[in-house]
Amino acid sequence: MDHMPENWGRPRNDVYGEYQSAIHNAGQGPQSRTQTPSITGTSVIAMKFDNGVMLAADNLGSYGSLARFTDQERLIKVGNETVVGISGDASDQQYIELLLERLLIEDNYPQDGHHLRAPHIYEYLSRVMYNRRSKIDPLWNAILVAGKNDDGSPFLGYVDLLGVTYSSPSIATGYGAYLAIPLMRKIVSEEADAKNVSEEQARKVIDECMKVLFYRDARSLDKYTVATVTLDGEVKMDKNVRCQNMNWRFAEGIRGYGTQKQ
Amino acid sequence: MGGFSFDNYQRNKFLTAKGYPVPTATATGTTIVGCRFDGGVVIAADTRATEGEIVADKNCEKLHRMSPNIWCAGAGTAADCEMVTQLISSNLELHAMSTGRAPRVVTCLTMLKQHLFKYQGHVGAYLIVAGCDPTGPKLFSIHAHGSTDVGYYLSLGSGSMAAMATLESKWKSSMTKQEAMDLCAEAIEAGIWNDLGSGSNVDMCVMEVNKPAVLHRNYRTPNERSIKQKSYVFPRGTTAYLNEKVKPMIKPVAYDIFEETVTSTGGEQMEIDG
Amino acid sequence: MYAEHFSEPATSHVASAPIEHQFYPYASNGGTILAIAGADYALLAGDTRHITGYSINTRFRPSIHTLENLGGPERAIVVAANGFSADGDALVRRLAQRAEWYTYNHNKPLSVSACARLVQTMLYGKRTFPYYVHTIVAGLDESGRGEVYSFDPVGSYEREQCRAGGSAASLLMPFLDNQVNKKNQYDAATGLPQVATDLPLEETLKLVKDAFSSVTERHIHVGDYLEIKIVTKEGVKVEYFPLKRD
Repeated sequence: MDHMPENWGRPRNDVYGEYQSAIHNAGQGPQSRTQTPSITGTSVIAMKFDNGVMLAADNLGSYGSLARFTDQERLIKVGNETVVGISGDASDQQYIELLLERLLIEDNYPQDGHHLRAPHIYEYLSRVMYNRRSKIDPLWNAILVAGKNDDGSPFLGYVDLLGVTYSSPSIATGYGAYLAIPLMRKIVSEEADAKNVSEEQARKVIDECMKVLFYRDARSLDKYTVATVTLDGEVKMDKNVRCQNMNWRFAEGIRGYGTQKQ
Repeated sequence: MGGFSFDNYQRNKFLTAKGYPVPTATATGTTIVGCRFDGGVVIAADTRATEGEIVADKNCEKLHRMSPNIWCAGAGTAADCEMVTQLISSNLELHAMSTGRAPRVVTCLTMLKQHLFKYQGHVGAYLIVAGCDPTGPKLFSIHAHGSTDVGYYLSLGSGSMAAMATLESKWKSSMTKQEAMDLCAEAIEAGIWNDLGSGSNVDMCVMEVNKPAVLHRNYRTPNERSIKQKSYVFPRGTTAYLNEKVKPMIKPVAYDIFEETVTSTGGEQMEIDG
Repeated sequence: MYAEHFSEPATSHVASAPIEHQFYPYASNGGTILAIAGADYALLAGDTRHITGYSINTRFRPSIHTLENLGGPERAIVVAANGFSADGDALVRRLAQRAEWYTYNHNKPLSVSACARLVQTMLYGKRTFPYYVHTIVAGLDESGRGEVYSFDPVGSYEREQCRAGGSAASLLMPFLDNQVNKKNQYDAATGLPQVATDLPLEETLKLVKDAFSSVTERHIHVGDYLEIKIVTKEGVKVEYFPLKRD
């Protein structure tokens, strides 16, 4: 007879081996991994044009409603011909950058003539994002991947913290989905429309969208980066771009909120 | 006393605690805009009314007449928009009769905002008020809690951001009437195509100084229904029935007149006012 | 007035519950799917709109997947998993992999009925953390007849003549009951209920297009394009049909 009550009702040691008391000593309830983001980046916007893909993201790192950092870079060049744009939690963004760096090193065999393209990076990221959501431990981001397909056509894909993925000739995360998409869809609504849009036209629309976002998204900045991936395999990063030709003149004619005259 | 009845408050609270769902009012997904131009103001709206994911009305009217020269576009709870505009419209008419003048837009604005503020947001009406009066063309927006806003261009509803993106990139000061109409129509269309809560057609109302307001019902109709590929006419007798009984709607009754009396009601008048 | 009859429960959470901000691992991405089996074909259709909330993510995201199979093009199986698209993708990818390995391991084509049973075990395998999808599998049986299997999120399934799934399933299904299975229709001459007969493919295609264009009118999630995959003895044919975009 075992006189130690804590051993009663347990599998016999002589049959099942030593009882793992770690189970007994485990804390109450499940482990909590739920998180909320702290330093965040707002929208990333992107659209295809005849010779590639163009992306933009502003340089603000918000801490709640505090404009905490004004020099965050959220468009990351991965390899030679892919750009990844990340919105959402900044710490998770940096972790994703680490993962992508590792992926690139892991895959770097100069002799095999193969190198990672946008669809491969997108596939990798969407698996990471979906697997983390399935562990209820998400990476709190919405990500755009832009680059080239293996056949040389432009590639643009979206993946978010739930592992939801989709492609479209114009995509935006965050407030961009409400404010920038309607403007971008006016010129590239369908995949075929991208062929009729030049780089200059695309840049004009992207700049316009960033301006509208600065007008209306309270967590945005008028300083941003524009990345252009062209089909000749070139990535241009235009940094510290400022919103141009903003118009705040209408305010002059407005007094009060209704009946006020002066 | 007017207002809401709270008789069922306690009961509803109990039922909610027991796990019964709270009935939700139809919050209509909508795009509405307004824009001023030289000598007038224009407002516009889409025509989709939704009940959750279902389209309740494909061509509803979201533009309400407050007075002959003041019009209002409504978003939010459909019934609240309808009732609050009707109520204030009536009060505006009484106000016009007692003062002997056409009502001003600021009067309409103040009456609406005071009513909405009193109900602390429970009357879920989000409105764009516009019109022309002796002080010129005016454009305002009102939120359900009673706050108001002035602007040269405004948008409200679930498609407000799609519309505002268009307005922010295309608006310029001193526009012609046609430019303002085109801009508003384009802003509503941005909502129609990009916001699932908005759809179908564009309604528009143009109010110019010293001119009667013009309502352009279905100013644009970019969503005509396509022709069906098949016919779905059922041959007579397709629907089953358990029994058949034919009842004449008009019964032929023969009246025999025995006597005819004519009575005078004398001086007694029918009471028409309690 | 009701207060004297009902004492308020001690655990009333009407006004007092704290708001918990926690991660919810599911979303709804809209879309609607529809499958009909005929005498010598099976058809699986779905709209290509992908949404979250009131936004359209993309107007064109084909969602009907084809599983290539051994034994000729007529053995191809079409599958769609509609609901939370990340789960739908994961399920379809895993199924495609398992189906491919089945053909390697057994050196014979995967029958639609075996595929359906496989889908059941895969769905039930995640019983405690389900794939949030309505799944439909369609193809031809050994005799060349169309067959359709539909599944609930945790693997309960049934073989059917026709089935709609997703956002607007509740709008489509009564229409299919009436037009495909002839429910509530009586023969005018005999007074007997009409019996469901196999519809010719031409008629079915018209019916499917009408069904989707009508549902587009009344359901905000449905629109943009209709993708129709038809399995016949010639193999899988794809057709696209434009829908309204508002």
